[in-house]
Formats: sequence, structure tokens, C-alpha cells
Amino acid sequence: MRELELYFGPQHLGMVGNFSITLKVEGDRIREAAANPGYLHRGFEKLMEYRTWIQNFPLVCRINVVEPDHMELVYAMAVEKLTGIEVPERAQYIRSIFLELSRVASHLFGLWAYANMLGFDTVAQWAMYHRDLVLDLFEELTGGRVYHIFIWPGGVRRDFPEGFQERIVNTLHSIGGCVPDYDHTFFNNRLFSKRAKGIGKVTREEAMEMGATGQVLRAAGMKYDIRKVEPYAAYHQVPWEVPTRKAGDAYSRIRVVRDEMIESVHMIFKLLDKMPEGKVYNRAPNPFKWKVPAGEAYVRCESSRGELGLYLVSDSGDKPYRAHFRTPSYPHGLVLLEKILRGASLADVGNIMISLYVTPPEIDR
Amino acid sequence: MKIRQRIAEELSDAFPGLQTETPGEGRLLVLAGKDSVIAVLGYLKRRGYNHLALISCVDWMEEGEFELVYILSAYPRGEGGAAAREELSILVKTRISRKRPDAATAIPVFANAEPLEREIHELFGIVFAGHPRLTPLFLEREYPIPPFRKDFDTRQYVKDFFDKIPEVQQE
Repeated sequence: MRELELYFGPQHLGMVGNFSITLKVEGDRIREAAANPGYLHRGFEKLMEYRTWIQNFPLVCRINVVEPDHMELVYAMAVEKLTGIEVPERAQYIRSIFLELSRVASHLFGLWAYANMLGFDTVAQWAMYHRDLVLDLFEELTGGRVYHIFIWPGGVRRDFPEGFQERIVNTLHSIGGCVPDYDHTFFNNRLFSKRAKGIGKVTREEAMEMGATGQVLRAAGMKYDIRKVEPYAAYHQVPWEVPTRKAGDAYSRIRVVRDEMIESVHMIFKLLDKMPEGKVYNRAPNPFKWKVPAGEAYVRCESSRGELGLYLVSDSGDKPYRAHFRTPSYPHGLVLLEKILRGASLADVGNIMISLYVTPPEIDR
Repeated sequence: MKIRQRIAEELSDAFPGLQTETPGEGRLLVLAGKDSVIAVLGYLKRRGYNHLALISCVDWMEEGEFELVYILSAYPRGEGGAAAREELSILVKTRISRKRPDAATAIPVFANAEPLEREIHELFGIVFAGHPRLTPLFLEREYPIPPFRKDFDTRQYVKDFFDKIPEVQQE
């Protein structure tokens, strides 16, 4: 049969965002796949070298549209590590609660993309609506819906307003009340399981070989979560579980996402119960005169897609000397995707790509 | 004895002349020579540090050198909780000359080094010997010097490059 070269994306219904894959197909089987990133390369890491330590906050959160808060967190943690600024305990709790809300919002967005791609429009609309309810909470707390610039060196920008804890609980209850509906129409739906089971299978060994983290690894049976491995914020203060599955296919990955959302909600309730009183930030130096001591730091956290790291270097100047983000989509989208698309059916390309949870902005940066 | 001290001693035994530092909690810094860095990575992988998180590059222009930084950590072995081994991140660093920027590829040790080295090749102009596809990854046009080097001034480039585009003539 004749071999054809096909371009999948950047304008394609099955493609999330600005990314493309060049496929060599024979019939509808894929012989070879080459990931083609760069449509969103904005050179953030170079731009950061031109801006002061505090001016970089509006930049870093824009690296990944879907989860700006984890980007803020790693940058704040790296600056704290270089300067030795301590974070008050209440701020650590607020950070954890805020980040878990952000994880739920990001997973709902992911669910929207996945359901939309498979044609489950109703579920997609629900997910988008429920994400909006979380964004309402963000708006009340920070003034921004998508980009918050809330976490910064020394703590968080402000304390929870009056009655905010109850509103978090109410919102999460109203979303959680719909879990049976989601299960019924999507997760336990045979149309979905038929299309997702056995698709894009990644074994544990392959995942480790390719540098995978996050759901990809957890769906293949490995309990690897930076929140447990190297706890930050207040994650070590309350008990919680890392959901895993064994099969390593698209179905298990999206089930892990579902279980993780529920675990996050339970974690938020536990954190709210245990949250201590006190101040929410330690004052950082005057941002106009702020010079960070020379040194380097590598910090990491668990974003909603896997291990998010930042390697930050200072030469005792008022701006970073070098910043380099380790984003989870990077190995998933550029190494793993090429490997598991080989031999797959053309109809499953979007399915595999979205189940790997690849977000192009954080690949390109 | 703490695990990072043990690893540091093992490395000094296996590679004479290798320097190690312990910069902070949960971090180990290894300063390797350009020729031994891939062997050090292979050794650490066999020792259980089998997750290459990142390869980064820093341009120390005034010292005339590039610094490659390989960041390793460990995947858990069993199903249980985190062990001390997994909390440790190892930063392996090596310096290469800015005049002849070439290094050996780490792909034989870590398959996921492929796009990371491609990116460093594109943004810093470092040639990785043995890399199967050092083609452009992100950028759409040629630059006079690789754009992430310190002597590339982004603002000046924008001014020079985009100011040259002629304005559309109104009829």
C-alpha cells in the first residue's frame, strides 16, 4: 500500500491547541509520527532574564494557560530557596488549598477537551461549567479568573475573605454532587470505554524509560507523586491517597484523572479543617532594590500533568541569570507520543494525544 | 550515613578527581569533566537514579564557558511510600568551551534526552555528537547567533529585525 504523509494539526478538531504531528500512514495505520512543536514558542525563559524578580510573576503564570498557579508556585519556591525567605504556616495551607482548587479546574478543562474530542458534548459542557464555578472562587480571592498572581515569595498575597471557606465547601459540594452523572454518562459509558480501553498503552518500563510522570506513570501502576516524594506547601499535614491503575491505556489515564479530582476535593476539606490562624506572608524586600544572592536552585512540584520543575540561577543581580522550566508535557508530547503513535490507527491520534494530557504551551514555553 | 553522602563517596571512588557538593536539603551537586559526564550519568542510572528530569544549559559568557546541567532523580522501586532515595535530586554539571561548543549525547543512557538536547542545540548552538536529529525544534527563522546566548540581545534584535519591514503604502 502507498505510504502517505499527513499533517495532523495545528488546525484540527482532535488537536488541543497549537501543536502538530507529522504522520506517515499506510492505509489508516501509522508507520511513523514526528511531533512538531514551536507554534507557541514565546521565549519566556529569555524574557525572564530582562525582568526583575518580582516583574517575572505576570510572565511565569502565562507559560501554561491551563494551570498558571503551579507555575507561580515553582517560581516562588525557587526564589524562596535562593533568598531563604520563610513562608508562614497559614500561607502553606492556603497555597495547598489554592493549588488543589487549581488542579480540579485544570482536570475539568482536561475532561472538557477529552469529552469534546470524543463527541461527548454534554459532558464537555458540564465540565466547562463546573470549571467556571471554581474560577468564580479564584475571582473572588484574587481578582483574576485565569491568571491569579496570588502566590509569591514569602507566602500568598492575601488571606481568605470573610465566609470564603464556606463558599469553597459549597462549590465543591455542588460539583461533587454531579459525579454520579459524570460516571453514568461518561466514565461508565460503554461508548467511552470501547474507544479508550487498550488505546495508547504505555507499560511501566516504557514510561520510566521515556521520562514520564503524572497520570501516565500512575495509570501504569506506579505511585509517583512529588506531593508525596518531596512534600511542599501543606501536603504532608493531612492524610491522602495517590490513585493508581494498572493497565496503562487511555482509559486508565482518564480514570486516574477522575479519582485524582475526588481525592483533591477530600484533601481540600481536610486542609480547611486543620488550617491554623496567623499571618499569610512574610514581607519580601523592596522589589525595586531586590537583589537575590548568587546561587542556583532546582525545585519541583506536582502540577496537574506531572512533575513540574524549575532550575533557577542567580548571579546576585536584580534579575534572574537563567531560568529553565521542566514541564511534564515535554517528555509526554515529544518522546512518548511519537513512540506510542507508531502502529496506532489514524482515528485514535487525538484520543491518544489528549489522554497523554499534553498541553502545547508548556512544551514551547 | 545520609544517602547523599554515600552516593558522593561512591562517585569519588568510581571517578577519581570528581568533585561533589551538598548545596541544600535533598540536593547533590556533581561537577564532572566533559569526557566523563556520560559515564557518570550511566553510573547514577545503574545506581537507581533512573529519571532524567531536565538537561539545562547556562551561558557563562564572561568565563567563556557553557555549563550543561543534568538533573536526575529516582523513580520508586516498589508500591510503597517515598524512600530517602527518591527525595534526592542529583545535579550533574559539566563545563564546555564557548569557542568550540560540543558535547557527547546522553541518548544512549536516557532516551528522553533527545528533545532536550535538540532544544539546547537550537537555542545555545551546542553540537551533541552522536545525536540522530539535531534539526530545529521551536524556532521558525535563522538567527545571527543562537538566541538564548547572553550576547544575543532580544530587544535590539526586535528593533533591528521588525523595524526594517516596510510600511504598507496607502493609495
